[in-house]
Amino acid sequence: MGEPRHSSTTLALMQELALTEEEIARRKAFLEFHDEDVQRLQELGGLAQQYADEVIEDFYRHLLAFDESRRFFTDPAVLARVKAAQRDYFLRLTRGVYDGAYVEDRLRIGVAHERINLPVALYVGAYGFYLRAVLRRVQEAYQHRPAEVLPLFVSLLKVVFLDMGLAIETYLAQRERTIRLQQEAIRELSTPVLPLRERLLLLPLIGAIDAQRAQQLTAQLLHSIRAYRAKVVVMDITGVPAVDSAVANHFIQTVQAARLMGATVIVSGLSPEVAHTLVRIGVDLGMVHTVGTLQDGIEAAERLLGYTVQKLEPPMLVPHPEEGQ
Amino acid sequence: MRVPILRQGPYLIASIQAAVTDEDLLHLGQEVVERVGQYRSRGVILDVTVLDVMDSFAARTLRDLARAVRLRGAETVIVGIQPEVAFSMVRLGLSLEGVGTALDLEDGLALLDQHVRRRGKGGR
Repeated sequence: MGEPRHSSTTLALMQELALTEEEIARRKAFLEFHDEDVQRLQELGGLAQQYADEVIEDFYRHLLAFDESRRFFTDPAVLARVKAAQRDYFLRLTRGVYDGAYVEDRLRIGVAHERINLPVALYVGAYGFYLRAVLRRVQEAYQHRPAEVLPLFVSLLKVVFLDMGLAIETYLAQRERTIRLQQEAIRELSTPVLPLRERLLLLPLIGAIDAQRAQQLTAQLLHSIRAYRAKVVVMDITGVPAVDSAVANHFIQTVQAARLMGATVIVSGLSPEVAHTLVRIGVDLGMVHTVGTLQDGIEAAERLLGYTVQKLEPPMLVPHPEEGQ
Repeated sequence: MRVPILRQGPYLIASIQAAVTDEDLLHLGQEVVERVGQYRSRGVILDVTVLDVMDSFAARTLRDLARAVRLRGAETVIVGIQPEVAFSMVRLGLSLEGVGTALDLEDGLALLDQHVRRRGKGGR
């Protein structure tokens, strides 16, 4: 079914989170998760087998008692399937093997939870219920050896924290990926290169400019210069909220690169605030042709290209669309 | 491989090949500066369309060539710098200050014509 897709997402995730064998070992060391913990958990394994079904039933009874968790299990078929998966998850906690495959399995669960938008608070809360249910049963089973209960429980806590760390990172990684994709989309949307006249391009910049966007912008502009055989480019920065020395340096680089390809760049839309800021922080845009407004920029570009725009006298009447018929 | 230098009216045109070595470039520099006088050329076009990389040595050599050519009374235009090359040159801080640049051979010739006309008017 969906299995191959799962495993490829989790594999990618393992790489993204850099979960190598060493990293897994580091995490265990940080949790002070040692061989004796593995032994204790294995010891719990038998008990877990015995109580698994009971704990799972309790667990889902608890989940179904609350509106916010019940809505994830409206379909009985889904409920049956997740119960089986949950049983497997539960038993794996005390199987005594906590290697790369174990981590991958835990990530897979995290991905599944993230995909259905299960809130992190519910995930953590459900884990708390688990721990309470198990603790109760361990106490019953170790009635005659009460001194062993605490070490057992502490070992269980360690593996549970390992799990929770992985699951929460899965959530974060998925969110970060979404944010990254959206940023890319915004970036592409916001940098059109428009041919305005023959051999004249307009590049209206909107929004903040960081190093990555500046680089992409310059590359895009240079390719457009070649594609349109542009001689002059008007780069309008009216829509750029802040111009600091880093952004100004990007402009200078763009201007220089365009010049190497035989094109002149005019930077337009330097508002009074931007002009003051640049002077105050001591940025020298001396080698860049700058003008105040887009209109000035286009007029300067037309002069460079030898265009003249003439106003008809008397002005042509602009017909209303309906009257024009 | 030596870079061939072609004569086109009052101009010299050299197309630099992808496999050009540092030595070839130095040789080209000497050759061009010599021929400018020999043919009384008014301009030089260096076509680098096929270069997919321009290192600091090449940039400096071409700039020096252009300066020497100017001392001999002609203008140099470098044409055909590719977007990727332009970008990496700027990032490496390599500039071709004082050297004319144009998109391609056609634009380069037009730029030289403009120079020659301006000089003619200036009564040099």
